[in-house]
Amino acid sequence: MAVAEVAPTVLRYRLRYLDVLVPATVIAVVVLACLVGPALFALPEPTGGDVLESYMPALSPGHLLGTDPNGNDTLSRLLHGGRSSLLVAVAVNLLGLVVGGTLGAVSGHVGGLTDTVIMRLLDVLIAFPSLVLTLAVAQSLGPSRTNTILALAFFSVPAFARIARAATLRLRELPFMVAGQLCGTPTPRILLRHVAPNIAPQLITFGMLGMGIVIVIEGALSFLGLGIPPPAPSWGNMISQGQQSLSATPSLVVWPCLTLFVTVLAFNLLGEALRARWSGR
Amino acid sequence: MTTVTRAAPTLLTSPGARLVGKRLLMAVPIVIGVSIVTFWVLNLIPGSAAQQLLGPEATPAQIQALEARLGLDRPAPVRYLAWLGGAVTGDLGTSLVSGQPVAGLLGERLAVSGELVMLAFVISLGLALPVALLAAHRPGRLFDRVSMLVSITGLSVANYVLALLLVLVFAVELALFPAIGFVPLTESVGGNLQGMALPAAAIAFPLFCFYTRFLRGDLVDQLQGEDYIVTARAKGIGPWQVLLRHAFRNSAFGLITVVGLNLGTLIGATVIIEQIFALPGIGQLMLQAINTRDFVVVQACVVLFAVVAVVANLLADLLYAVLDPRIRYGSR
Repeated sequence: MAVAEVAPTVLRYRLRYLDVLVPATVIAVVVLACLVGPALFALPEPTGGDVLESYMPALSPGHLLGTDPNGNDTLSRLLHGGRSSLLVAVAVNLLGLVVGGTLGAVSGHVGGLTDTVIMRLLDVLIAFPSLVLTLAVAQSLGPSRTNTILALAFFSVPAFARIARAATLRLRELPFMVAGQLCGTPTPRILLRHVAPNIAPQLITFGMLGMGIVIVIEGALSFLGLGIPPPAPSWGNMISQGQQSLSATPSLVVWPCLTLFVTVLAFNLLGEALRARWSGR
Repeated sequence: MTTVTRAAPTLLTSPGARLVGKRLLMAVPIVIGVSIVTFWVLNLIPGSAAQQLLGPEATPAQIQALEARLGLDRPAPVRYLAWLGGAVTGDLGTSLVSGQPVAGLLGERLAVSGELVMLAFVISLGLALPVALLAAHRPGRLFDRVSMLVSITGLSVANYVLALLLVLVFAVELALFPAIGFVPLTESVGGNLQGMALPAAAIAFPLFCFYTRFLRGDLVDQLQGEDYIVTARAKGIGPWQVLLRHAFRNSAFGLITVVGLNLGTLIGATVIIEQIFALPGIGQLMLQAINTRDFVVVQACVVLFAVVAVVANLLADLLYAVLDPRIRYGSR
């Protein structure tokens, strides 16, 4: 009896962390592979391949996943493309976290006219279907990595701001906030020392979901030719390029699709697990 | 607490009508703001539209002449006000490339995009309701777990990835549906639906996953925590009755809001899906216009997308208020 009772408890204890550990491990593997993979496995450059080596099948000598129509190594392009995707996603979410978080916290904490003005302005941005707005911005600024980040930040900032504002409003009546104000603590200090640490967990959790969203939308932009400009690889433009020979060489579409899916799934699962943890308390 | 004496509500002073008025008033500045942002963003375009239209060999004099003819030499605020004045009266200008009136172009294509969105919407909601109800009926059981696993997976599939996989399986391998090719509804209903099946499915599946997760979560919250559920159960009502008549009614409110909010994302998705399946909808028109720098058309498309999103939000808000007396009579 005793054994039967202990075993599930231990198992449950271990399982409790699996929901965070598994996706976190997958993310770590993807990030590491993209960052150090190409150097570690001495992969060929992602661009400037030999056309004579085009359309090589998977497991060819020197090309584990084969080559694309331009003779570039698919694995190398996948990993280099991942660098782009991850860099864009991290930058967009950091921008959202810092700018949006600040706007939301100020809006929620100060209230009054400031709140109304900030939130109405953000309402305008939220009213846009995000892909449509980013398409327009990306086209106006011209396709490049920096411009993709700017275009995507247009929608990450209001999203983070909304969450930061809601979280700040929940704090407002709590004793330590009231005490802080009664002591005459200046507003910037209250925001930095009292509000920021308390809303950070929710913002970071949203950031995990945001990573998935940004990777997908960046892929969409590149897919439509308005994101990372070829020949530089990104998952989106690899899918777009592979689509042209979908029936002949489906693997050129399948590999970037699969990588994109696994990465986004890991970020979503991690975000969900963290959210369940925070709301469970 | 302050006490408010309420006069007997008439049609105009009833809380419902006041709420409708208030929300409508809030929607107008948002739509105007959206059009200003669009105009501003499109004005960032390096290299003027005239340059683009005339090609790289145009002389500066030619460019200036065309700019004057198109009214592009006027300052941006003046051009915006002229555009707004036209838009209010239904005149969205003429395409810089084809010279056709934009309003007419949009009309033709709106039907295609509208049909796509409606199909995706009906499929996703039609599947999500029964699946969420079955999952919430016995939370934690096999059906619940499987449906939650499927839905988190589905949420992680980008719609363009899903679209290509659908093409690969159903069009290339099985040859059940055409990969591209649009048949107008007026020509052949069957052919039209066959062409629309894959694009609609590609948009509908992630939505189905989203709705299922949301509704199942909300239903389980209601069933576990709410007093009225305990009361209903204590009265001896069967579990399905409690779920459908009591919990679902309450959860439906949240679902309406989410559906309204989501319609914006839904029409955004049409851009890329129409591109993949070569459907002549608004999204395709917008992409073509972006590539030819026909910013009169781009402006009209973006504003149209935004107006649909704002209106969908507004409708969801209003429906919510009409159905839920707590909001109608609430403090807000």
